[in-house]
Amino acid sequence: MIEMILHYGFMQRALAAGVIIGVVSPIVGLFLVVRRLSLIADALAHVTLSGVAAGLLLQKQFPAFQALNPMVSGMVFSLTASVFVERLRRLYRSYQELAIPVILSGGIGLGVVLISAADGFNVDVAGYLFGSILAVGESELWVIIGTGVLAGLVICFFYKELFALSFDEESAVLSGIPRRLVHLLFSLVVALVITASIRVVGILLVSGLITLPVAASLQIATSFRQALWLSVLFAQISVLSGLAAAFYFDWASGGTIVLVSVLILLAVAGGKRLIRPGSGKTGAA
Amino acid sequence: MGETVLKMEGIDFSFDHQTVLEGVDLEIQKGDFLALVGPNGSGKSTLLKLALGALKPDRGKVSLFGVPLRRFRDWSRIGYVSQKANSFNRDFPATVREVVASGLYGKLGLFRRMKKEDWKRVEEAIKQVGLESLSRRNIGKLSGGQQQRAFIARALVSDPEFLILDEPTVGVDTRSVDEFYRLLAHLHRKKGMSLLLVTHDIGVVTTYVNRIACLNRRLFFHGDTDEFVGREKEVFTAAYGHPVQVVEHAH
Ligand SMILES: Nc1ncnc2c1ncn2[C@@H]1O[C@H](COP(=O)(O)OP(=O)(O)OP(=O)(O)O)[C@@H](O)[C@H]1O
Ligand SMILES: [Mg+2]
Repeated sequence: MIEMILHYGFMQRALAAGVIIGVVSPIVGLFLVVRRLSLIADALAHVTLSGVAAGLLLQKQFPAFQALNPMVSGMVFSLTASVFVERLRRLYRSYQELAIPVILSGGIGLGVVLISAADGFNVDVAGYLFGSILAVGESELWVIIGTGVLAGLVICFFYKELFALSFDEESAVLSGIPRRLVHLLFSLVVALVITASIRVVGILLVSGLITLPVAASLQIATSFRQALWLSVLFAQISVLSGLAAAFYFDWASGGTIVLVSVLILLAVAGGKRLIRPGSGKTGAA
Repeated sequence: MGETVLKMEGIDFSFDHQTVLEGVDLEIQKGDFLALVGPNGSGKSTLLKLALGALKPDRGKVSLFGVPLRRFRDWSRIGYVSQKANSFNRDFPATVREVVASGLYGKLGLFRRMKKEDWKRVEEAIKQVGLESLSRRNIGKLSGGQQQRAFIARALVSDPEFLILDEPTVGVDTRSVDEFYRLLAHLHRKKGMSLLLVTHDIGVVTTYVNRIACLNRRLFFHGDTDEFVGREKEVFTAAYGHPVQVVEHAH
């Protein structure tokens, strides 16, 4: 059966894209969540929208840009924004999350203006908003593979620095870890991963794929390594379910992926309470 | 006379025009165990941050191991436990081992992974603070005193020559406090480590340290413990603005 599915070129591309995104998004997400920055994913996704709109507009107005993939212009926009997030964060020491709505609403505003200025595109903007894993094209798959390799390299090589900075930034810096360099590289990776994920889950749901598997893993992980592997495992289950749902039932892949992630989160949280009653994090003291 | 571990000369510092430190000179020789005391808000933590280069003085010079701070790179020779170490995210997914290991990362440098012998050092540091039975537990699930010890292990794992501790015994029960000071005394005497300890336990600490500095914006005392013990009333009245009850621990 699997052979039959893989007979289709679009299925091969969808599977490859899904597996790659299902590895890198939750890993990047884990580092964002533990630093309480998970909303950055949302902000950058919305900036990507304006980048995609800018790309489409260029295509429409200037024939020279026919070959430009809007994902590339989306990537350029979110890379630029990710650098600004770091800047803005430093501007407000105790309101670091303030950077997020600034970038998010700026991105949406620009995106909407560009779309209206173009007076309609002949491509489906909804495909970017909600994602469609079965529509991943060849050039897009290459962008996703490149992103996966780059993200993998940065996370492997800077794993210990990223961990130390996430747990206790002050001590990490004083022990000689180059904060700026590591943060800069990481924010660039975040921007790349988000843009690459958009094809799979869509702009509106990217932050779900980045944070939900992590949220589930945090319920049960004692160590950072465990949290890492569990969130990748949960993300893979979600992405593959989304792919299957899209293939067999023609359901929206992005929506299915996020719904399965929510179900996993509920199951993990529920299972934890069943096994160890009273050990849940209820919040109220 | 041995090597000078830390030398601060004529340090002035202010936060947004509010003067916090004025003309502070502090010196720590190799093998010294110095207690830095002073009332809340007297600038103790600020002075440590200046010593570590996390803040820049308005005036004055800082050098570590004889090297001007600007050019100092050997951060692994120094261990630091911040006053805020205990205010980390309690739901952070990390074990004691992982947190202690992160104390080695700066020393290892970029692109080098943890090797077997590095993990052995991590286990040793954990053993030194008596947490070996909890090394694979989640750090957020430990008691406040146990967490504090984990942070000390993180500072010790890179085998520093100079250890800086900012009020490490806050929230630690009396028995553990005594145990903790014995650990510091051991590091000082047996390992020849130099220590700088910020504390409010003035009574206890005079039995362990050989140098005392008393700070309140400027230094009111900086010298040997023996000399201090005779003059403590007068020094404290000057620095705190009122006499201070020195509580001795029953041993
Ligand atoms: N980040 C900051 N911004 C502005 N002022 C600050 C800052 N940190 C400290 N201060 C001020 O500097 C002064 C010295 O603070 P510091 O933390 O060094 O005191 P401390 O001696 O460590 O006190 P404690 O015993 O309470 O820890 C205080 O008046 C404080 O209000
Ligand atoms: Mg302090």
